Amino acid sequence: MMLPKKTSLAIATLGAMLLLLESAKLARPFTLADVLDFRPRDIPNVEPLAPMPTLKGPVTAFRRPIIEPNLIDPHDNLRPFYLALWRTELGAPGAITRVLHYGDSPVTADSITADVRSLLQQHFGDAGHGFVLIAKPWAWYGHRGVEVQGKGWLINAATQVRARDGFHGLGGVSFEGDTGASSRLTLAEDHALMEIHFLRQPGGGVLAVEAAGQKLGDVETDGPAEQPSYQTFPLNAGAREINLSVERGPVRLFGVSFERNTPGVIYNSLGLNGGQVQIVVRYFDKPQWTEELQHQHPDLVVINYGTNESIYADYIERYYPGELRQVIQSVKAAVPRASCLIMSPMDRGQRDSDSRITTVPTLPQLVEIQRQMAVEMNCAFFNTFQAMGGAGTMARWYDSTPRLVSADFTHPLPAGARKVGVLLDQALESGYRQFKAREQRPARSAPAAQETH
Amino acid sequence: MLLTTAAYFSFLAAVFFAYWLAARYRLGALAVVLFANYFFYARWDLAYLAIIPAASTCDFLIGNALHRSSRRQLRRLLVTLSIVLNVGLIASVKYFSVLPWVLPLALSFYGFQSLTYTIEIYRRDAKPAESYLAYLASASFFPTTIAGPITRISTLLPQWSKREMLSPRDGGKALFLIGLGLVKKLLIADFLAENLVNRVFDLPKLYSGAEVLAGVYGYAFQLYYDFSGYTDIAIGSALLLGITLPRNFNRPYAAQNISDFWRRWHISFSNWLRDYLYFSLPGLRSSWKIFAYLNLVITMVIGGLWHGAGWTFVVWGAWHGIGLATHRWWQAWHGNPKLTLTPGARFLCGLATFHFVLVGWVFFRASSLSTARDVLYQISSGTISFANITPAFVLVMVIAIGAHYVPPRWYDGGLELYCQFPYYAQAAAIAALAVAIRYVAGSGSAPFIYSRF
Repeated sequence: MMLPKKTSLAIATLGAMLLLLESAKLARPFTLADVLDFRPRDIPNVEPLAPMPTLKGPVTAFRRPIIEPNLIDPHDNLRPFYLALWRTELGAPGAITRVLHYGDSPVTADSITADVRSLLQQHFGDAGHGFVLIAKPWAWYGHRGVEVQGKGWLINAATQVRARDGFHGLGGVSFEGDTGASSRLTLAEDHALMEIHFLRQPGGGVLAVEAAGQKLGDVETDGPAEQPSYQTFPLNAGAREINLSVERGPVRLFGVSFERNTPGVIYNSLGLNGGQVQIVVRYFDKPQWTEELQHQHPDLVVINYGTNESIYADYIERYYPGELRQVIQSVKAAVPRASCLIMSPMDRGQRDSDSRITTVPTLPQLVEIQRQMAVEMNCAFFNTFQAMGGAGTMARWYDSTPRLVSADFTHPLPAGARKVGVLLDQALESGYRQFKAREQRPARSAPAAQETH
Repeated sequence: MLLTTAAYFSFLAAVFFAYWLAARYRLGALAVVLFANYFFYARWDLAYLAIIPAASTCDFLIGNALHRSSRRQLRRLLVTLSIVLNVGLIASVKYFSVLPWVLPLALSFYGFQSLTYTIEIYRRDAKPAESYLAYLASASFFPTTIAGPITRISTLLPQWSKREMLSPRDGGKALFLIGLGLVKKLLIADFLAENLVNRVFDLPKLYSGAEVLAGVYGYAFQLYYDFSGYTDIAIGSALLLGITLPRNFNRPYAAQNISDFWRRWHISFSNWLRDYLYFSLPGLRSSWKIFAYLNLVITMVIGGLWHGAGWTFVVWGAWHGIGLATHRWWQAWHGNPKLTLTPGARFLCGLATFHFVLVGWVFFRASSLSTARDVLYQISSGTISFANITPAFVLVMVIAIGAHYVPPRWYDGGLELYCQFPYYAQAAAIAALAVAIRYVAGSGSAPFIYSRF
């Protein structure tokens, strides 16, 4: 017997202490069987991923029906959206299909939405970029096709230092500027119209608007009462650099929309960093938001929250269904003729005690609540989580080459975002094709005129 | 079986008791170590049970043949065979998978250690192992398997013959090192990685210049604490069996110049590169001094390529190679002056060296040259926002920086104090650490960075 006495005693005592701590749930759970587990679990998952459809090229997939099991629409709620798409596809003048996509951090840099926009516009026409904020409320804010620079603005995002009056505009962010505050928006392509979203208010100042170095006019923001307002300016061909500057403060802006005078799709990306349904319920001024939604005349409103809520088991159980219901009610009350689509969050991973990347345990529960609520509230439901591959997707996406998800196992990298965007686009277009085939069966006619709005 | 898991520490405790119970009989102790080594490999993948004994037996036989032979050509052929075997083993696992599945553990550190054996016998610097069992136990010694420290077989072999009992001080030191390694890895390195570094390097354009710079500083300390944390656990584990492994780090960011840095960072690797690669390159004894400088660059580029077959590692190696060559040339030009620097000058030299190393880390960590360029571009943009830097991240960074620069005598004082604790206090201190990890660390530990090399 040659055991080193003191160290042996220390190790034995430590073992006993850890067993006690574990039984009191104070140490990390552990079973002795783990030591003898020879399954090859540390091998990275190298299961090949399905090939990505290309974004450019002939639209052959459009003609082939695809069975899409992840888009649930039992009440035919997507009918107004499909009808709008049909009109757009027929190319009638002014036939623009408008989508508002509200989302959380995976959408904040126009991830996912930029790809859906690109695909829908390839297939149905490009009616413009849509809404964009006038400065970066968070460092990574950005939209594909629009470069945004702003200075001198007091920025109040609904998820951060929120505006006291709850006026956060269409995009959830308010920009207050005094004389000298300015923004420059650089477009990658020509647009025909630009609409400034601002707050008319007593004592409001003047905003000067320039395009390609030419002054387009002023926006007078003074008015008898606080009221969300809009002013449109035409843009000439080649006018891609827009400058907004406060000539006399105060001026309060919410964003700018860009459109073309051609039939097509406008897909507005409205991602809020840290976005949750409770932000909309608690911190959006309801009348003001209603006014903003109504002004857009959307054909589809996508509600794509859940990433941030997914780690709070107690909240999900107690409050989440009620708050999600309130958001859907607000949207439906504001734009009753628009389709409503609940889009579930992506998979979200975390490392377990054995260093494996696993799905956050409460996420499937949250997705199921969303599905039930969509059915109850007469909305469609897109199960992003399931479409991606369900539980464990983040581990596969993290180990894939190229990597599809960031090391936080939450935010998609560009290739991953494109994959999710393609999945959503495929589901919507598949649904649209099935809708069209069904509508054409009894009488091969264009959408009924009375259903326009 | 990562060195931070409960499974590993249960395994280590079992090996400790079995080893010391068998220590009276050298053969018994070696059999315990060999069983533990192969058990450890098998936990990663059962395929290692075929690969490692076969490769070790080849090197053992080559070593014997090298020792017996005096024919220069044959000896050269034999050492070449060993180099091809070990480099081939590293390359086949690391770069070109010859198996139908991916082996989770690169065999770099195994290969480096094995090469020290045959090359030293070839150079007549060491004699072959007398015991086959001792050789097998040394070549595959489990604490060094994942990421070193690279230990010459010739320094391990004589330690198996020691008859001394583990002293209370060495036992205390082993436990102290293991605890320290866990703190470094789980409470500092993983925290920095998960809370900023990984996200910044995944999508640098989404963060402000200040945040990206903070992410790069964070990475410098994450890498140090990750790797030195692993090393502490490895050295502590070996010391529990009475085996002393070489030191691998000596406050590297306190280096005064780039040569000094490489005497303090991954010491066993830089020594290996110097002794087995740099000295083996042609032209060192040439009167053309350019060869000495060129060989430095070549050595570091090969060292970079060992980390991975990518341009980022080539740039990292070349950056350090050019830095080392320039420093050596400067010293030669000034006649190797012994400079006595003022504290202020020492601080500036240290700061400059640290930032030189920091630029290298950008390439070392970035997934591609374009990502590295984005990181450097974002930093140079000068944009300032700290929205993604939490107070907790700042606190951990302050602790990380402070702990790195504490005088060595403070560390020695802490070690001595711990060694003097009674056994139950030693156990209680580590149990308290386990509880802290349960509550403070993330939900799981990421693999050690160097385990993939």
